[in-house]
Amino acid sequence: MEENINALKSVLDKEYEDFESAVEKVQTLSELENIENRFIGKKSLVSEYLKNMGTLSGEFRPVAGKTINETRKKISERIFLIREEISLIEFDKKLRNEKSDLTLPGRKIKKGSKNIISQIIEEIEMFFIGLGYEIAEGPEIETDYYNFEALNHPPDHPARSLHDTFFIDENILLRTHTSPVQIRYMEKHKPPVYVIAPGKTYRKDYDVTHTPMFTQIEGLAVDKDINFGNFKWTLETFVHAIFGKDRKIRFRPHYFPFTEPSAEVDVSCNMCKGSGCRICSYSGWLEILGAGMVDPNLYKFVGYDAEEVNGFAFGVGIERIAMLKYGINDLRMFFDNDLRFLNQF
Amino acid sequence: MKITYNWLKEFIENLESISPAEIAEKLTMSGTEVKKVNYLGENFKNLVVGRILSFEKHPDADKLSLCNVDTGRNLLNIVCGAKNFKADDIVVVALEGARIQDFVIKKSKIRGIFSEGMMCSEKELGISDESGGIMILDDSFTVGKDFAGQAGLDDWVFELEITPNRPDCLCVLGIAREISALTGLKFKEFGYNSEYYANKDKKFVIDIRDYESCPRYSAKIFKKIDNYPKTPLWMKNRLMQCDIRSVSLLVDLTNYVMLECGQPLHAFDLNKLSSKKIIIRKAEKEEKLLLIDGSEKSLDENDIVIADEKGPVALAGIMGGKGTEISDETEDMLLESANFNGVSIMRTSKKMGFRSEASNRFEKKLDPENTVNAIGRFEEMLYRISNVKSDNTFYDNYADLKRSRRIDLRLSRLNDFLGTDIKTEKVSEILDLLGFKNKTDGEIIKVDIPTFRYEDIEREVDLIEEVARIYGFDNIPVRKPRTASKQGKYTDEQKFLRAIRNTLSEMGLNEVINYSFIGRKDLLMFYLEKEKDYKDYVKIINPLNEDFEILRTSLIQSLVRNAKDNIFKKINDIAIFEISKIFKSAESDGQRKSTEKNTLGILLSGRACLKNWDIQERYYDYFDIKGIVESLAEIFFDKNDLSVNECEYGFFHPVLGGDIILKNKKIGVIGKLHPKIINNLDIRQDIYIAEIDLDTFIENISREKKFRQISSFPPVNIDLAFIVDEEIKYHDIEKEIIASAGRDLQNIRLFDLYRGKQLEDNKKSLAFALELNAIDKTLNEKDIESLIKKISEQLSKKFQARLRDQ
Repeated sequence: MEENINALKSVLDKEYEDFESAVEKVQTLSELENIENRFIGKKSLVSEYLKNMGTLSGEFRPVAGKTINETRKKISERIFLIREEISLIEFDKKLRNEKSDLTLPGRKIKKGSKNIISQIIEEIEMFFIGLGYEIAEGPEIETDYYNFEALNHPPDHPARSLHDTFFIDENILLRTHTSPVQIRYMEKHKPPVYVIAPGKTYRKDYDVTHTPMFTQIEGLAVDKDINFGNFKWTLETFVHAIFGKDRKIRFRPHYFPFTEPSAEVDVSCNMCKGSGCRICSYSGWLEILGAGMVDPNLYKFVGYDAEEVNGFAFGVGIERIAMLKYGINDLRMFFDNDLRFLNQF
Repeated sequence: MKITYNWLKEFIENLESISPAEIAEKLTMSGTEVKKVNYLGENFKNLVVGRILSFEKHPDADKLSLCNVDTGRNLLNIVCGAKNFKADDIVVVALEGARIQDFVIKKSKIRGIFSEGMMCSEKELGISDESGGIMILDDSFTVGKDFAGQAGLDDWVFELEITPNRPDCLCVLGIAREISALTGLKFKEFGYNSEYYANKDKKFVIDIRDYESCPRYSAKIFKKIDNYPKTPLWMKNRLMQCDIRSVSLLVDLTNYVMLECGQPLHAFDLNKLSSKKIIIRKAEKEEKLLLIDGSEKSLDENDIVIADEKGPVALAGIMGGKGTEISDETEDMLLESANFNGVSIMRTSKKMGFRSEASNRFEKKLDPENTVNAIGRFEEMLYRISNVKSDNTFYDNYADLKRSRRIDLRLSRLNDFLGTDIKTEKVSEILDLLGFKNKTDGEIIKVDIPTFRYEDIEREVDLIEEVARIYGFDNIPVRKPRTASKQGKYTDEQKFLRAIRNTLSEMGLNEVINYSFIGRKDLLMFYLEKEKDYKDYVKIINPLNEDFEILRTSLIQSLVRNAKDNIFKKINDIAIFEISKIFKSAESDGQRKSTEKNTLGILLSGRACLKNWDIQERYYDYFDIKGIVESLAEIFFDKNDLSVNECEYGFFHPVLGGDIILKNKKIGVIGKLHPKIINNLDIRQDIYIAEIDLDTFIENISREKKFRQISSFPPVNIDLAFIVDEEIKYHDIEKEIIASAGRDLQNIRLFDLYRGKQLEDNKKSLAFALELNAIDKTLNEKDIESLIKKISEQLSKKFQARLRDQ
């Protein structure tokens, strides 16, 4: 029996050796499958031996069975490992076939744009909302009363001639500034008032620096204890927020019928850093807004007590801000709506 | 307004201690904006005074002379074309390097002979229009010395912007007073008043019919004026620098005095007046007057005239009459120095479409106390120039207006208002410098308002402004306000509007902004005259031109214009939107009322998709624009709230246009622009348009958003196709499916629309993908089957729809 066992073992060892040398060169899963069939498939030597177990003597059978199964297990485990290995390689190969030129252009999402005027309005709105302001609105078709009279421009006031007004009829006009919103808002609300009012305004003028329609933002703060220093702080902080902290600001006394004292606010020229250039007409300064302390006369029109409250108001030209911020040199561009312009913002 | 540095020096002691640039800065920072400071000498370099020693004819040119000119250091040979000189004349010589009318003088040969300079005419120097010959100077000029310095041209010109509240600053004296206040240098005032009141005369009558039109009329007669010399060169130059042309001594003097003290003057030829009486009155209706400029004006009772007994001789404050104009032959002159009602002058000048230096000043309300100063100054200057004394009679009619005012200025109010801590002494000092007499009484400063500031200083706050601007806005400390007493925020409506703008721009559209105006032409182009909705437009009575005549009743015309403009520039792929107001006019209670509404317009044209290396080109069509509207609506509304009803509009393609319906209400229009309009516009691509009433859209947005439960059971996806008649609208079928499927239907999508061989004529097949899911269970086969049955039966009943076999 010993002999028989040894003979069986040597046959199986030889078979395993054959398996090892066959499997050594295997490259693909199908080659591996062939080998699997050859060595542990139905017609393999190992399977044949196992099939013939019944013919063996009872004493020899368990030992022989154990030996054959060991060989079979050894082969099958080996195949399992190799299969794993080849699978990984083949998977990798498959992925590598998916190669593309990653520098080819991607499929872009078409980009639209908010108008630069809207963007600047929203930027200013966010700034003032942060300071506790609300947004007020008013009609573009206004009455003489709100556009002029209640803003301290009685009929025949010389300052009216500074506004080239479009009229709908004798008393109805297109607002020449956003300031009428001040009156409309104060009529409906008691102090404290903190509002800004963006909107379209109209004047009869058309050249490189004037369009018959333009955009303003009005600001108004009326409260107890507001003073000129607060006015300066608010506008200085605003201008720094829009143009950057490095810009200098000056308040130049001016005249508006509805503020007293009135000021024009200039920001230092960015092109020449204040030394004077064509952009700033060699002054080193760029005018950006008109403002002042609310003239107490206005409070009479809206029923506030001028001894109780003070306030300040300002008006900013949006296109002017955009021109200075982005170096746009022709006001009319804003309304030409050339897509090459619109797509830049 | 322009004034010069040397002129200011006459009225401020020691002004030369401050440079013109510093003065400009101080004026600008106190409210008198200096637009420019210009050094004149720059334009008059290399001009020297010379004397013609001798001259002879040019050997090769009859019309030219060869002159030997002494310029102090050198004797120059100068070829000259003028004839008006003789030996010994003193002339202006432009040396090499001088710039005359934009060309630079250099030594050059003229007809073969070297000319070493040029003798100049007044016109060539820019002093006057006189070009009849070279300028001959008088003996007061020193030969060999620089011309500019001797002619008053070594000077600086300030270009100022005077705000309308400061008529007192429309003159040299007014600005001098400001500079004095800003620098503390002493201001030298006129004082002609007392001297004149003593010599009032009544032989010549000044009859003011209406003191409201003319509170004061002062006058003086100058005799034998035909003997006066010509205007001195320095005065001509000064006027020229202030943009006033020299005419004759007397006219020049009226202008000079006006620039100097702000009071307009007018000179009449006394002997051409029909009477020894001047009448100031309102014009009569249709009264005529021939003005100095040669135009005849028809007047009415709103115009103020100066008249003699025969009729008007001048339009008060605006222009004199031709009949009484002074000329070289005038012997005696009546000089008018009057004060007229500013509003009347403004109205008349506006009506005539004519503004002059005088009317511009009168409009802003001048000080009647100043009329006498102007006459005194005129007389003094005339004497200085001519050395002729005029008689000392003076005529004056003055409705004494008692222009005195005292205002109490509370120091605490001033400091509270400005956020400052300015001391009484400082306030008082500033007021003194400005010419405001004042007295301190505890914390109150009692301020007397001078008559020249009577119109603009009426209240305490006006004084606070005066103190603030002289103290310097820059010196007022910046103070952070106490924390805002309100919460800053957008209203819901404002939030929605901005969200709509954001959404559209993120969808790939560009936001445009157009003028609110359009022309009648645009309406015609869109066949809108007939459209009932577009008839009641708001019209501007004084439009810029006919293209800006009407306020938009729709954004469509402007958007189409934007498309056209871009297409003309070869920018063909356009997806734009605008959010703006449109305006309509409606009759209510017998009155025309304008309404304005926020409106959204969208326009698509050209390619939705460009051909890319792996993408096919695609052009926009109706379903692109509808998709945009639907996507927008779905952000704010239920999917089923929005639909489109076919409807014909003149500007839309006859079958590709309709109304946008939101919650059963029309809120806009959508469609393909009518091809005939496209043809008329000379473009060759389709245009798709939608317009939505944004106010109504936003109004309908629910302010509260509620969470809807999500099912935790797996969904079932089924496809159903129905065959229906061609006429049946998709929307109706969809509505019916949604209604019959009930709440388990989560999503419905039309994934195929088929017409063709497999179907009978006039039939179409609609294939839907339905996503079904119940909130409380997994839907089983039986549930699904019964749902399909319910839908099919309903569609069959309503539309004779047939379920297509899968």
